[in-house]
Amino acid sequence: MIRSEVIAERVERALIKANTEMNPEILSLLESYEGPFSDTLKENASIARKTGLPICQDTGFVEFFIFLGNEVRLEEPVDRILDSVVRKVYSERPYRYSMVRDPLFERENTGDNTPSICHISPVIGRTLEIRFLVKGGGSENLSRLFMLSPTATPDEIAETIVNSIREGVARGCPPLKIGIGIGGSSEKAMLLAKFALTREFGERNERDSYAALEERILREVNDLKFGYQGLGKGITAYSVHIETFPTHIAVLPVGLAVDCYISRRGRVTIEG
Amino acid sequence: MKVEDLCAGDELIYCGELIIMRDAAQKRLCEALDKGNVLPVSLKDKVIFYAGSAKPTEGSFGDIGPTTSARMDPFLEMLYRLGVKATIGKGKRGRLAVDLCREYRRAYLLAPSGAAAALAERVVSLEPIAYEDLGTEAIFLAEVKEFPLYVAIDVSGSNVFDLHIDRG
Repeated sequence: MIRSEVIAERVERALIKANTEMNPEILSLLESYEGPFSDTLKENASIARKTGLPICQDTGFVEFFIFLGNEVRLEEPVDRILDSVVRKVYSERPYRYSMVRDPLFERENTGDNTPSICHISPVIGRTLEIRFLVKGGGSENLSRLFMLSPTATPDEIAETIVNSIREGVARGCPPLKIGIGIGGSSEKAMLLAKFALTREFGERNERDSYAALEERILREVNDLKFGYQGLGKGITAYSVHIETFPTHIAVLPVGLAVDCYISRRGRVTIEG
Repeated sequence: MKVEDLCAGDELIYCGELIIMRDAAQKRLCEALDKGNVLPVSLKDKVIFYAGSAKPTEGSFGDIGPTTSARMDPFLEMLYRLGVKATIGKGKRGRLAVDLCREYRRAYLLAPSGAAAALAERVVSLEPIAYEDLGTEAIFLAEVKEFPLYVAIDVSGSNVFDLHIDRG
């Protein structure tokens, strides 16, 4: 049995860290950036760390990817535990509440940044793994789904992704992290793309063909030279991550998800 | 800030007043105008900052930073007709916004995104002045100091996102 408070304590710590501490790899890249707003961006990282203020005012919605071992026993449903964590962290700290209850008519703020978005996958074993993204609206709006022809080539996929980034990147906050889901159904491709954003920057797809496609798309996106803040200086993307799933003979879904320049994410693993 | 003097690509430091609003408040202003209602604030000669702040702390008014301006393009002409002299946000705006800047001789500036803790330290005062029920999306009046800005679209319609980037 994994007790709720053990999960809550671990996830709480990770969620606070994601909101207030810049990833060291991003910080070291930022050090070499000289261009518009470079001083303010560098200053921001140290102020957030010192004061506990979040790195970005858009403290996002929290999206969890949960891998729940079949031998793990919990005291209550895992999404309920995670919503309590989000409620606690966002209520106790100077983080923005960005969730509205009804998406179309009232759009009234829920007042505690819940619900979070939980994707639960059953796996074999005694381990509970929780990955999460703190996802702002600006990068989320750059998400796209492309239902390509099943005869589409890797060239066409690369072109589709690069064109979409070219069209949208200057409305987001580059440098971006790019997640791509290939295969499955329409929503599966989007979910894979989003999950790909939980990967480490240096993680490459285990198949050489896809790893090469990741590197190629990254190179082509960086050749666009949008740079930090979209103003032409420095890199445009940190990394590209592809996830795949078997698909139907008549379809080739390609999902695109991007994360912003601060790429807030976390990962907690607990043995049951 | 003399809007006419700003050139796309200029960096500047701004001290002064900002009116903060974003999606929901602009939608409500637009509905109020459609119904012929009196607006709760005057926007004449104001500078609008598209933002939604986080919560205040004991030592600060809280994180603040720009949101994506392109989403506000449909409301830009309304703002200009109400006398707004410049807008501040993040990211590239559409052709409509560039044309409106030229037509009304107004400017669009960028504030740094992903720098909200640093910007929090530059806020001298912040108070809601209308639509308070919208929470972080209410209309606020802010006083800021040493606020770093970058001119993206100037009154001649020059757009830094076209100037700096060769899109092949």
